[in-house]
Amino acid sequence: MKRIVLWFSSTATAVVLLFSFHTSTQGAAAGVRNSAAAGVVTSGGTTTVTGTSADTRYGPVQVRITVSGGQLVSATAIVYPTGGRDSEINSYAIPVLDKETVAAKSASIDSVSGATFTSQGYVQSLQSALDQAHL
Amino acid sequence: MTTAAALPPTAVRALPRTPTWWRDATLGAAAASLVFVVALWLTGGGLSALTGAGTGVTSLGRLAGLVGSDLLLIQVLLMARVPIVERSFGQDALARAHRVVGFTSFNLVLAHILLVLVGYAALDHRNIVSETVNVVWTYPGMLLATAGFAALVMVVITSVKAARAQLRYESWHLLHLYAYLGVGLALPHQLWSGSDFVTNPLARVFWWTAWGVTAATVLAFRVGLPLLRNARHHLVVDGVVTEAPGVVSVHLRGRDLHALPVRAGQFFVFRFHDGQGWSRGNPYSLSSAPDGRTLRITVKDLGDGSRRLAGLRPGTRAFLEGPYGRLTADARTKRKVAVLAAGIGITPALSLLQETGDDAVLVYRTRKRDDPLFADELDALQRKGIRLVRLAGPRAQRPSWLPKQAAHLSDAEALHRLVPDLRERDLFICGGTDWVNAAEAAAKALPKAQVHVERFSW
Repeated sequence: MKRIVLWFSSTATAVVLLFSFHTSTQGAAAGVRNSAAAGVVTSGGTTTVTGTSADTRYGPVQVRITVSGGQLVSATAIVYPTGGRDSEINSYAIPVLDKETVAAKSASIDSVSGATFTSQGYVQSLQSALDQAHL
Repeated sequence: MTTAAALPPTAVRALPRTPTWWRDATLGAAAASLVFVVALWLTGGGLSALTGAGTGVTSLGRLAGLVGSDLLLIQVLLMARVPIVERSFGQDALARAHRVVGFTSFNLVLAHILLVLVGYAALDHRNIVSETVNVVWTYPGMLLATAGFAALVMVVITSVKAARAQLRYESWHLLHLYAYLGVGLALPHQLWSGSDFVTNPLARVFWWTAWGVTAATVLAFRVGLPLLRNARHHLVVDGVVTEAPGVVSVHLRGRDLHALPVRAGQFFVFRFHDGQGWSRGNPYSLSSAPDGRTLRITVKDLGDGSRRLAGLRPGTRAFLEGPYGRLTADARTKRKVAVLAAGIGITPALSLLQETGDDAVLVYRTRKRDDPLFADELDALQRKGIRLVRLAGPRAQRPSWLPKQAAHLSDAEALHRLVPDLRERDLFICGGTDWVNAAEAAAKALPKAQVHVERFSW
């Protein structure tokens, strides 16, 4: 009986300690930022175009492009799913997609392996930005 | 105190027959849950992910995780002592299934861990060690899941036959309870990090339901029901009788025993409040048909637990879990029965025969000719018209249910000669595992539904 009590209390202590760790109580990491309004902003010679937000299984993706002299000069995702596995995937996938876009100057880019849903959302939002910029 | 056999039959609350659809429904529900988790994987794009190298490995890992954790719940439910399930399958069959399903689920969980880590490492272009550290420390619920897995590892290691033989049953059982902790700690990471659950509300509802139902079932039938029964019936020792050297019967009395839904041939896990170490339970069969007022168990001295019974004082409080077991009259498919019993296996046989009517055959196998337990009760059964065949003598050289002097006959032939009309009877077999296996093999020709077996090796 004494041994059982000892076992029980050390187990309970271990469980309490485990639950005090931050990943043990945070719930599903929903690190989704609010989408920005889609639209075109021109200042000086550059135009910044924000695509509409595209919903994916893991959350919204929204792309913003910069156009200068009728040329697409940069693209970046301003909203994408983060937290847990999503951060992992997207910290790798988003820069790849950004680079691909600048190189292709269109929305016909390859999706990133392991980030299929983010890639699809990215292309969708990118296309909306390109349409607004009449590119 | 009178012996139970001499009591007139009283009105014992009749139990309804166990409907056979219970069995089918139980199996169907288990199969449906497996289909559901595979469907979950398919709708989550599990199949299409297989085309990529990294995503394919991860996807297989997800499938292993889903099926593995479903089986984890099923093997908990197998041991939850749900009356419907107990009566449909029998506890010995459930315990064996629990072992197989348990090891399978563990292997799948292990595959899940390895596949997901390898897949993630490939996708993230990092080595497996840093990926593992990253996943364990930063993903939601993963530290808990890691601790849960450690608990499962301990349970599995202590359940491998070689390791289990080194442990006392009580220690092993205590360690085994950590399986509940392991299963419970795995839940958060599934809901928070599992992509099938994060993105699919229906999947979350299913999973919470499955977990909730499992937990509630275990609490209700392993804790709640025994507490209620013991509070209501308040069982105490009525007296202890030595039947033969090393064999004692314990008579018990309690309140409202007529309302205890027990049948002849069943067993309970007993605890006697007789001092240090009383909390260890032992399973004992009833050795006479329950008469609604008393219960009797008969125990051969096989270990420290059973030796203590001889010293029980009248008035000692007894606690029971159960009844369990399906060697009961309502397992019959025919009207008539034949019972094969060896050694202390006579106890459920006796209680069963007091209930099954007079056109019965009892084949009673003992080591020695001169130690018939319950000689009076066997006489009483014979007077009722039950045919008693004694098979006494040392074991045969080969594994057989027969004694040495009958071993020139094949096992099946001997059974046929002893009970020529076996086809018109249900066959009940009670005894130690090896003997029961041999006797069951001898009855191979009989349709399975007519053979009722429980192995007593605890």
